[in-house]
Amino acid sequence: MNNNQQSPKKRIIDVDIHESVLYKDLFKYLDNPYRRYIEDANWIQEKHLPYTQPSVAGVNRADAKTPDGGIAGSDLPFMQEQLLDDIGHEYGILTGALDPSPSSMHGWYEMATALASAYNDWQIENWLEKDERLYGSVHINAEDPSGAVREIERVGSHPKMVQILLPIDDKMWGDPYFHPIYEAAEKHNLMIGMHHNEPPIYYGKWPRYFIEWHSLLPTTHMMMVTNMIFNGVFEKFPNLKLMMIEGGFTFVPHLMWKLDQQYTDLRHEVPWIKRKPSDIMKEHVRFCTQPSEELNKKDFLSVLDQMGSEEMICFATDYPHWDFDSPHRAIPNFDPDLKKKLFSENARAFYPKLK
Amino acid sequence: MKEQTVCHIDDMQPGELRESVIGRISIVVCKTLDGEFYAFTNKCIHQGGPLAKGKLCGAPQSDNPGEYTFCQDGEILRCPWHGREFDVKDDGRMLANPERKLPSFPVKIENDYVIVYK
Repeated sequence: MNNNQQSPKKRIIDVDIHESVLYKDLFKYLDNPYRRYIEDANWIQEKHLPYTQPSVAGVNRADAKTPDGGIAGSDLPFMQEQLLDDIGHEYGILTGALDPSPSSMHGWYEMATALASAYNDWQIENWLEKDERLYGSVHINAEDPSGAVREIERVGSHPKMVQILLPIDDKMWGDPYFHPIYEAAEKHNLMIGMHHNEPPIYYGKWPRYFIEWHSLLPTTHMMMVTNMIFNGVFEKFPNLKLMMIEGGFTFVPHLMWKLDQQYTDLRHEVPWIKRKPSDIMKEHVRFCTQPSEELNKKDFLSVLDQMGSEEMICFATDYPHWDFDSPHRAIPNFDPDLKKKLFSENARAFYPKLK
Repeated sequence: MKEQTVCHIDDMQPGELRESVIGRISIVVCKTLDGEFYAFTNKCIHQGGPLAKGKLCGAPQSDNPGEYTFCQDGEILRCPWHGREFDVKDDGRMLANPERKLPSFPVKIENDYVIVYK
């Protein structure tokens, strides 16, 4: 194991680092016929956002392109140099680049499940076992819960797999159809990490501009938290916790108030909920600092006060994406106790596999 | 202590609500399916909805997501406005927040008449 860790400048657990892969790099881990389906048909990975990209290097930081011209996030030594060593990470959680995103694929469950397995093996061999700071996410094809459970059983006990990754697209993951996944997660001490992929936000359609889509991504996170809570996922799986990745956190007070108020009026529809939804959120759901809305100290503290908790937010860089948050600039300069919670201890408390 | 005769016990059917007044206070009298009587303020503690216009119903309960059991039929007073549920046999406590409850009034049956006291 190559450990380039320097003495940390401050303890940082970064809960959103995107490593990237090209399909050809998965061939080694992909059985036939799936490898040949891709190879023979020259299947090119692609995303579907109908926009030109937001920055000069697409969705990535332009300076994150690898020295040999490869895609950002595809080279561990360069990530070590540019992120882990430079900032002095204690730990980083890999969240993939959602390409491939097996749970986002429609149909052909066999291919999606095979891609998920190949991705996990690639991730373990090339990242988790090469840098002790990096922890990983189990990729699954959630559309096929039985196949997903088999994959969780296969790699979920790996000591560096800390969560199961679910993309936010157009599927409501609180639906009982997906509950076998949560049962398997609990069994292996895995949390759930949700990260938006390409959710159509405007009534199932795309807005005209990227800025509209990107501004309203937090609404999709609100949908998922609401869906998971009222479908009783946390009542059924009391040890399960949910990390909402890259949705920010300033919407959380509104969501807590709204769900509590609605529960008071409409409890009869979801009688398995026995406590205030905001209490469920405080116990089971965590949110990321990124993408920062650049609040000043007073406003940031005001949001925390409205949430009634300093334990619900975890720091994330979103490296190597264009809207990366620097730990030195994105968060106001708080007192040491609060800084410690935001930058490391809240995440450490969330992921039981982190020491 | 003020008292108000509301009605004869047979004037109300099990599961029925009836509005009455004691002094200047509007109250709702509830007759549960087992023939017991209970009285509360007629203004919902939420936003003042007229509870006598609501319904005495039951409460779906569950310990398993997706499964329902219908309990306490005729014992849950639901506000006609926002539908908040109050357990008339548990001192008018709100099901979603048992720390809150409807102000209640003592009820006695005297010579087969329903008497509410304040």
